Amino acid sequence: MAVTAELAERTPRRPPWLHAYSTMTRWDLAGLRLQLPLIVVVQILAGVGFVLGIGLFFDRIPAPVALYVSTGVVVLNLTLVGLIVGPQITADQKFAGTYEYLRALPVPATAAALAWFSVALIASLPAAVVSLVVAELRYAISFSITPSIVPAVLLTAFTGTMLGYALSHAIDDPMRTRLIAQMLVFFVFGFSPILYPASQQPPWLATISWWLPFEHMATIVRAGLTTGIVSGIGTSYLNVAIWGLVATALSARALARRP
Amino acid sequence: MDPNGDGSFRAEGVTKVFNGSLRANDAITLHVEPGEVYGLLGPNGAGKSTLVKQVIGLLKPTEGRITLGPFDLVEDPAVARQLCSYLPQAQMPIESFKTREAIRLTGRIRGGDGATVDRRTDELIEALDLLEWRDVVGAKLSGGVKRLVGFSMVSVWPGRVVILDEPTNDVDPLRRRLLWDEVRRLGEWGSAVFLVTHNVMEAEKSVDRLAIIADGRLIAEGTPSSLKAQDRSFLRLQLMLVPGAETPALPPFVSHHTRVGHNLVTTIGQTDASHAIGWAQEQIGIGVAEEYALGATTLEDVYIRLTGHVSSDDGEG
Repeated sequence: MAVTAELAERTPRRPPWLHAYSTMTRWDLAGLRLQLPLIVVVQILAGVGFVLGIGLFFDRIPAPVALYVSTGVVVLNLTLVGLIVGPQITADQKFAGTYEYLRALPVPATAAALAWFSVALIASLPAAVVSLVVAELRYAISFSITPSIVPAVLLTAFTGTMLGYALSHAIDDPMRTRLIAQMLVFFVFGFSPILYPASQQPPWLATISWWLPFEHMATIVRAGLTTGIVSGIGTSYLNVAIWGLVATALSARALARRP
Repeated sequence: MDPNGDGSFRAEGVTKVFNGSLRANDAITLHVEPGEVYGLLGPNGAGKSTLVKQVIGLLKPTEGRITLGPFDLVEDPAVARQLCSYLPQAQMPIESFKTREAIRLTGRIRGGDGATVDRRTDELIEALDLLEWRDVVGAKLSGGVKRLVGFSMVSVWPGRVVILDEPTNDVDPLRRRLLWDEVRRLGEWGSAVFLVTHNVMEAEKSVDRLAIIADGRLIAEGTPSSLKAQDRSFLRLQLMLVPGAETPALPPFVSHHTRVGHNLVTTIGQTDASHAIGWAQEQIGIGVAEEYALGATTLEDVYIRLTGHVSSDDGEG
């Protein structure tokens, strides 16, 4: 029978992983089409704002300080989309009732996660570059860029995105996800030693910071853009990688969960 | 695994208990053959969505099996997602997608090859009369058009099971007809189509068989005519009451009644027809009712009798 023949032709074939990844990346990009330009502009304004703002506080900014601040700004640019925009989008999907539709698509969780990571990276990189260029022009500094900037940027953006991903999927209540993501951003911007050294924090806060990934993200990114101003790079890579893995494991567990 | 070798969808004794006590699904057993359009009817909270979520692998049954041909959908949720396409009751997240792009991309995500998906996308856009919105983004579409785009996204590369949750919501009557033609075509492709709805009138016209679910249990199953057959010795007497009128005292031959707005629907025995007409005319005479209609019972009446609920679009026709 014709119907049976059609049916046989459509015996489920799992599409190749790369196909799932590329189609989901296109899906995420198209889904953000209206917001993406705005996100990039806001990111640039935030990054450039930090870089130029610091110059308004003091008469003279020594070159090491300018280097320190501007390399920290790169970390803010790299983590903002993954940490706050991601959870916001998922919370909106849960409120609108479309979250389950997306979960029911035949896409491996790893492909969907990496697709979102790629899009978050695309939305973050322009601002990071612009912030550095503006810092160079404003403070007459020069960065010594080494190849280690590539793994540092990728790992920082990955861990930031996966932390946001875990908040999105491991917490059922979208209201709570939204709240925690926003609090986290305040904490990262205000109380994490990204733009300033941890030694300027009270010891107890410095201890907390040391266990969290944000200070270490700044260390590895700084190591790729400067020479001689950071140490303990290996430990920092380890810390950020472990946080990335933990966040990925939490997301994977949440996405595989069937209550 | 597939004893009948027919590729049918089977739910066997599916039970879902939440929080240790709430039985959202209670031993639901049903089967749907390839090509069949099967209605899942029931009031809100009856357990329809819970059943659907177990089929597509978002919830795990407490007990029971769900299979499609040789595939165990409970054991392997990844295969379940591959085999089932799902149109949720909520609108699709396509605010920034152009119509054609949304349909095409979903087809590709579902694993369809580029050329076939392109052809099928254009076919659906034409069949559902969506040409004028082909390159318009979702944010600019009306609810009904968005619904049709959602349906197209689900059926561009359909699974062997296609689950449509209230597919005709907000869709105008003309395009509803086009949509039903496309649902039929899914059947011809060999998909088993689940139509989840509480619009009984529409289901009666469009399904091959249906199940009525209430309080988590499957309380009736069959073709629309076989379900109505049980009520064949009854008639439906409908009274349009004067606005503001109280429900009049009902004569003893009325076996069942419901009131929605000014509309009083009663069920009477066939042999009481002449008494019923007399009573209805009397109600008009004393100014309680404006008009009446007497006819064969509909699936709606069966539904009301079984569930005690009135379906959503009652009175809309």
